[in-house]
Amino acid sequence: MPRELMSIENLSVIYKTDLETVRAVNGVSITLEKGKTLGIVGETGAGKTTLALSLMRLLPKATGRITEGRVILQDQDLYKLSEIEMKSIRGNLVSMIFQDPMTSLNPIMKVGDQIAESLILHNDEKLTKEQISARVEETLTLVGIPPFRKNDYPHQFSGGMKQRVVIAIALACKPQLLIADEPTTALDVTIQAQVLSMMADLKEALDTAMIMITHDIGIVAQICDYVAVMYAGEIIEYGTIQDIFDHSREHHPYTVGLFGSIPDLKHKTRRLSPIDGLMPDPTMLPRGCAFSPRCPKCEPLCKDQKPPDRDNNGHRIRCYFVGGAQ
Amino acid sequence: MSTPLTGTLLETKGLKKYFKVPGGWLHAVDGVDFKIETGKTLGVVGESGCGKTTLGRIMLKLVEPTDGQIFFDGKDITKLSKREMKSYRSDMQIIFQDPYSSLNPRMTVVDLIAEPMWVRKIFKTRAETVAKAKEFMSIVGLAKRLETAYPHELDGGRRQRIGIARALCLNPRFIVCDEPVSALDVSIQAQILNLLMDLQEEMKLTYFFITHDLSVVKHISDHIAVMYLGKCVEYSPAEELYKNPVHPYTKALLKAIPIPDISNRLQKEHIIKGELTSPVNPKPGCRFVARCEVSRDDCTKGDIPLVEVSPGHFVSCLHIGE
Repeated sequence: MPRELMSIENLSVIYKTDLETVRAVNGVSITLEKGKTLGIVGETGAGKTTLALSLMRLLPKATGRITEGRVILQDQDLYKLSEIEMKSIRGNLVSMIFQDPMTSLNPIMKVGDQIAESLILHNDEKLTKEQISARVEETLTLVGIPPFRKNDYPHQFSGGMKQRVVIAIALACKPQLLIADEPTTALDVTIQAQVLSMMADLKEALDTAMIMITHDIGIVAQICDYVAVMYAGEIIEYGTIQDIFDHSREHHPYTVGLFGSIPDLKHKTRRLSPIDGLMPDPTMLPRGCAFSPRCPKCEPLCKDQKPPDRDNNGHRIRCYFVGGAQ
Repeated sequence: MSTPLTGTLLETKGLKKYFKVPGGWLHAVDGVDFKIETGKTLGVVGESGCGKTTLGRIMLKLVEPTDGQIFFDGKDITKLSKREMKSYRSDMQIIFQDPYSSLNPRMTVVDLIAEPMWVRKIFKTRAETVAKAKEFMSIVGLAKRLETAYPHELDGGRRQRIGIARALCLNPRFIVCDEPVSALDVSIQAQILNLLMDLQEEMKLTYFFITHDLSVVKHISDHIAVMYLGKCVEYSPAEELYKNPVHPYTKALLKAIPIPDISNRLQKEHIIKGELTSPVNPKPGCRFVARCEVSRDDCTKGDIPLVEVSPGHFVSCLHIGE
């Protein structure tokens, strides 16, 4: 039985202002299976968050536009739904966790009420007040917060605890898909480890699929099943975790650069080998391969035409010179 | 500079800083001693609120210590007045964490870099100052065309290069780097780390490198001090600390790093529980007691000294090896 939950087909997103057009996401196609975790890695401005927002149809109304592509979630085309239908999906079938737990909670609302809010909005099971209250306590216990704290306000929690509350809100309706946008970036390492291990446990328990957006390859290695590397709005490499972290295989030159930039904990290296230069301006992307201005393997062909995806048993690399069946 | 290029450049003894807060005294830094050798890097790691930034600021006397002494180049600078401190300012500089808020948005790149030299009246004419500023632009790798650019036109990595140039232009011997790469993406972070290490080699700089990133600190440091709630819990040569961590907190910290390697995925049994306890009016004894797996009654009896467990490797724990 196919376990496909979501498929993104050739998605492109722009931000259009009077002055310029920012090409934030350019032709992204990925599928996600039920209960699996997809990691999306890339640097600032690679289009990771825009991709996540466009899956939820939460792009800023004034500027953000989906120019191309579709998103199918459990046989529904999300872009064909009305706003009301979409509302019943958000927080219910698909939930999102944002980066900054300090600002994503309502400071003048008890955390228990904030968790109950999504349960009341999506009350398909016709739960009574008492049942909802019981569900809130259950959810708090799930994320490791003692239930008696449901009457506390966000400022009474530490950063790690606030992020647990945010996760509790996201998981209250037992969604099929959880989109986590840099959920642990604002946290200290020991707290990050606690939150990540809790998320991994919950995902297992609830059989929720997860899209984990991060800039930290370490986090990807720890909890993801599939990895998509994003650069300038494109997925330049995609594969299973084994494909991406197997250093004996061929990789996109950008992926190689990304790994070369991380100081190694196990071996002593005197110099890091970073990628020269910067990400291209998304208002003026190069005509050919987006990475060509920084690429050590760049040939005239790369500057002229977009390279195709070369596929090797599901390990896709968007480059003329690496990847593909061997 | 007449001083030799080896030996201790900066030393602290029993440094303390308490802040008055409602409900008592917040022990931000609570008795920290260490030495930094000329031309070396001391890395300080710890989580938010452990006092690492306060410590960096005390050493530059941007914050007055509550107690303890700071020796720079053998002289006690703890009691110097602001005016007397001025003669040391060009020797001791700082690079700030956030390149977005630490630069004046209304000054051009070349003016930003010229400003410290202008304030110190290094050169008589403006032309000379500007020429020197341009020289520093090329040293830190800023393109000539950016001379008249404003900070908002630049990305984080370039802004941080301005911050570095500003710190360097007075020819300092000691630089406090307060999380200089935390706001940057990994590929840019690597460029800046390489730059800082190259500059250290060329200009014989001594760094006090503050960070929460354990892989960055290992890469750049010669010695590392691990801090927890105002106390130094472990101090060791960098390699040794990663090979042979001794303090329970250091062990937990190292295990918590997400390593980009799939052969050992998240090991749940090693994750420490709980969170930082309050730094306001802390109980005597070890600060890590509430989260520690090997703690006993004697851990809270009194101050726990740093003990040398192997040459140059100091640990403050009563139950080493348990």
